[in-house]
Amino acid sequence: MSFLEFVQGPMFIFAATVFVLGALWRLVGIIKIGRKKDISPPKASAAAGFIKGNLRHFWPRGIFAKRTMVHIVGGYGFHLGLFALIFFGAYHIDFLNERILGFSWPAMPRWAFLMVSGIAFAGLIILWVRRISDPVMRLISDKDDHIGSWLTFLVMLSGCFALEQAHDILRAIHMLLVNIWLLYFPFSRLMHGFTFFLSRGSSGATYGRKGIDL
Amino acid sequence: MQNQIHSFRNFLSLGILMLMFAAFVAPVAAQSVLPPGNAVNLDDGIEEGPSNALGNLSDTEIWDIFRGGNPRDILAPTIEGQVMTTTGQQWRVIREQYILKYLGWAPLIVIGILAVFYLIRGPMKIAAGRSGKTIPRFSLSARVAHWFMAAIFIILGLTGLVILLGRVVIAPYLGLEANSVLTSAALQGHNLFGPLFIFALIWLFIKFVRGNFFQWVDLKWIFKLGGFFGGHVSSRQFNFGEKIWFWMVILVGIVISITGIIMLFPSLVEDVRWLQLSTILHAVGAVGLIAVAFGHIYIGTIGMEGSIDSMLKGEVDENWAKEHHDLWYEEVTGKSATEETEAPAKEEIS
Amino acid sequence: MSNITETAVEKFLEHTDSEAASFFEACVKCGQCAEACHFHLATGDPRQTPIYKLRPMERAYKRDKAPFSSLKKMLGLAPKPVTEAELKEWEELVYDSCNMCGRCTLACPMGIDIAGTIRKMREGYSAAGLVPEGLQRSAEFVKKTSSPMGVTIKALKAQIAHQEKATGIKIEVDKKGADYMCTFSSMEIMGYPEVLGAYAKLFKRAGLSWTISSVAYEATNVGVQIGSAPMAKEILERVVDAAEALNVKYVISPECGHAYGAIRWAGPNLMGRQFKFEVVHIIEVIDKLRREGRIPAGKKDDRRMTLHDPCQIIRRGGLLKEPRKLLNESCSDFVEMKYAGLSNFCCGGGGGVSANPRADELKTKAFSLKAEQLNGVEGLEAVVVPCGNCRAVFEDGFDEYELDFEVLGLSELVAGTLAGDDQKQG
Ligand code: HEM
Ligand code: SF4
Ligand code: SF4
Repeated sequence: MSFLEFVQGPMFIFAATVFVLGALWRLVGIIKIGRKKDISPPKASAAAGFIKGNLRHFWPRGIFAKRTMVHIVGGYGFHLGLFALIFFGAYHIDFLNERILGFSWPAMPRWAFLMVSGIAFAGLIILWVRRISDPVMRLISDKDDHIGSWLTFLVMLSGCFALEQAHDILRAIHMLLVNIWLLYFPFSRLMHGFTFFLSRGSSGATYGRKGIDL
Repeated sequence: MQNQIHSFRNFLSLGILMLMFAAFVAPVAAQSVLPPGNAVNLDDGIEEGPSNALGNLSDTEIWDIFRGGNPRDILAPTIEGQVMTTTGQQWRVIREQYILKYLGWAPLIVIGILAVFYLIRGPMKIAAGRSGKTIPRFSLSARVAHWFMAAIFIILGLTGLVILLGRVVIAPYLGLEANSVLTSAALQGHNLFGPLFIFALIWLFIKFVRGNFFQWVDLKWIFKLGGFFGGHVSSRQFNFGEKIWFWMVILVGIVISITGIIMLFPSLVEDVRWLQLSTILHAVGAVGLIAVAFGHIYIGTIGMEGSIDSMLKGEVDENWAKEHHDLWYEEVTGKSATEETEAPAKEEIS
Repeated sequence: MSNITETAVEKFLEHTDSEAASFFEACVKCGQCAEACHFHLATGDPRQTPIYKLRPMERAYKRDKAPFSSLKKMLGLAPKPVTEAELKEWEELVYDSCNMCGRCTLACPMGIDIAGTIRKMREGYSAAGLVPEGLQRSAEFVKKTSSPMGVTIKALKAQIAHQEKATGIKIEVDKKGADYMCTFSSMEIMGYPEVLGAYAKLFKRAGLSWTISSVAYEATNVGVQIGSAPMAKEILERVVDAAEALNVKYVISPECGHAYGAIRWAGPNLMGRQFKFEVVHIIEVIDKLRREGRIPAGKKDDRRMTLHDPCQIIRRGGLLKEPRKLLNESCSDFVEMKYAGLSNFCCGGGGGVSANPRADELKTKAFSLKAEQLNGVEGLEAVVVPCGNCRAVFEDGFDEYELDFEVLGLSELVAGTLAGDDQKQG
């Protein structure tokens, strides 16, 4: 078995399994902690608040964005970009189709892929350079934040390095980093990609049952 | 053939001089300053075909066939329909004989100079010590613009150097195969990050152009050699050295950007010589910037106590400001830079 | 591990329910919350970043309770244990630097409720005895007199007598079977007794049957501010017992922010049962009476007025529209200040901060933002502040920043602009 076959085959299966089970375990673990039932008479629906909180926080309020506009724009650029790269990049769709899903969907054209990569890279870099150049961020960040940013960056960079598809080793390195990323994900801050709905939802539910129109 | 090489060198030297990189392009420039007597100016077209390059078989007609055009009409060649060009050969020689051989040394030489300077002079301390009081220097968005540029610059610098020097620096040691892999990777990375450089450059320009225009006080700075060898130098928000750096980044950055775009989209230019010129200007400009960047990084970090604060926290110590940017300090605070800032009580610092 | 640390950490863990856990899990350390917190905005100090104030509790959770925490501990990857020195260092951030105002939640991309979590974190602090002196003193007063300012029933009765004389309306104390039982904050009773008269006027006009309890007139709950559920329950019990003994249908929470949250939203949870009465806020009552046509509006106050939004009533209480409707009906020149409504700034004194003299300087600094908001309203003459605690903070702040606006409560404004008075005068 070649190195490429190894990282695309057994190692990927392993990493993906850990990713799925780990993330599930962690989500269930958080929910299982449980909370006391709120018995104060509600004014409106907590469940509706849960959903509303989730939706409302997708859109930042302008008044808080003055100093940090660059961060917010960078954040959106990175996240939307990465999402598009993962799920609408031709190579990725092919890979998912062949290895896991067994079905595929239209990919974006190569020029769009490159453009979106640029946006995602720019966004990630902006997010990280703010982390190192703003006293607030320097104070609240920990190792996990930096590792998460860097690991994601390296995954993206190795993917970009492999774009020519001429050398198996470059694709293998990309795949290896993807696997490491998958393995790191459930145990780290990267989990925010899944936990966000719980936290937005919790606040949203509390606000919802008080009848607060967020 | 010699003729064309010389003539092209002439052409090149013009571009280089415009870039003001006299110091580190000396090997290239020195050779092109005095063209040999038989040099021909490209603009005049080629007076004579390459002499004897193909032995006895060579004649104008054969070249004509190869080029697919009139050998005298070098101003109008297109990429399509040509088997070969003569300027390509000149370009290759310049690349191999000068750029690959000498250019890579420029950053190393700068590092060497910095190391020697550091050993002799050591870091520039804040003479009065830190006051513990700070004043704002760069906004968050300015800092992010700076580090964004720095990040893109580093990525492009590293991948660019691999592309440029891989064959002479990597291949002999790690082998051709490894070099081919690294070059493929670097090329893809370089192409993808290239456009971001343009964005970074515009952003940097917008955020930093204020305060970077030349002022009279800069003359004094020049006469005192920037205070690097002692003596106090006055300056406003940016001193002359910083201004040089800023404009160098911007102007050379523009050249790199334009030449980069030409190489990324070769069909943008009709004349293949633009492409050849681009590769050379791009390489020389970029490596030049990299070399000077080491100087910038040196002063920004270990070279001068307290400098990095402005880019990490956005604030600098008052005493740093007084010593390095006294006039700016006075503008911002309305206080005199020669008056002492009393250190705040101990409790406040801790 | 010292006793203090052990107790605090134990309580931190106990109070980290799935909600708080989801916050700690979701926070991406993006710093956006700092842009919303008036303490950070006013001082520029990174330590005033909301999420930072929760750090010891977050660490305790990540070390000992989070999913995978035992695995991480085994591998030596868990965060370091919380230390006593650290707890003490954070004491100021937990008590002085957070009004539990909830503004940061609006800015947070993850919707993290810092305010509610600070409330839970204070459980650990109060259990470990790490409470600022000022709040402790309030708690002692409450034990003795039920009021954090030491307002006795005698003092209240004196104020009632004054207001009866001023309005000519009888205010009945301990009337069994009344529909409504009113509660007040000490600040209102001592500082703004006109409120009593305003209630009397409004309720008389509406024909409401109401009373004040001689044992449970105090609405504020220092237990909620200190962060002690047992203490909060004890204080609350007094009101609940009295209301149920008087057999009232409604208990009215006064123009006081945290008092409303304490009884309306936290109340049943603290007591572990639902009440036999309904809790309503005075603004809700007035608004309802107005909609029912029982207290029609008369001639409007023509001063240029704006409205301060007390956090616990508006942002965290949900009474966003009611005060605005009432203001528009009572005042001909009502203008909103910048950031009005959900995202208004806290006065800086909420969440027990104003009861904590150590925090005075910080509180005053934070008020600079409020001052800026008020100064931003051109030609402003008066500001309606429907919270006794905010009102006191405003008055301190006005001295500090040399502002000269009148501060008034909403009930007074509405009572003063009733249709009937108009006719009588005319
Ligand atoms: C990676 C290492 C780097 C470090 C440690 C660094 C450090 C700094 C510092 C401390 C300053 C502020 C100086 C002051 O307060 O006046 C500064 C300014 C600046 N830097 Fe950098 N820098 C780095 C890389 C770069 C790169 C790669 C570029 C551009 C390609 C760049 C362009 C600039 C510019 C334009 C300024 C504005 C000041 C001026 O006009 O010269 N820097 N840098
Ligand atoms: S804004 Fe929310 S996610 Fe961001 S640092 Fe603050 S609490 Fe964490
Ligand atoms: S709740 Fe209010 S006071 Fe507390 S941290 Fe958030 S914004 Fe600041």
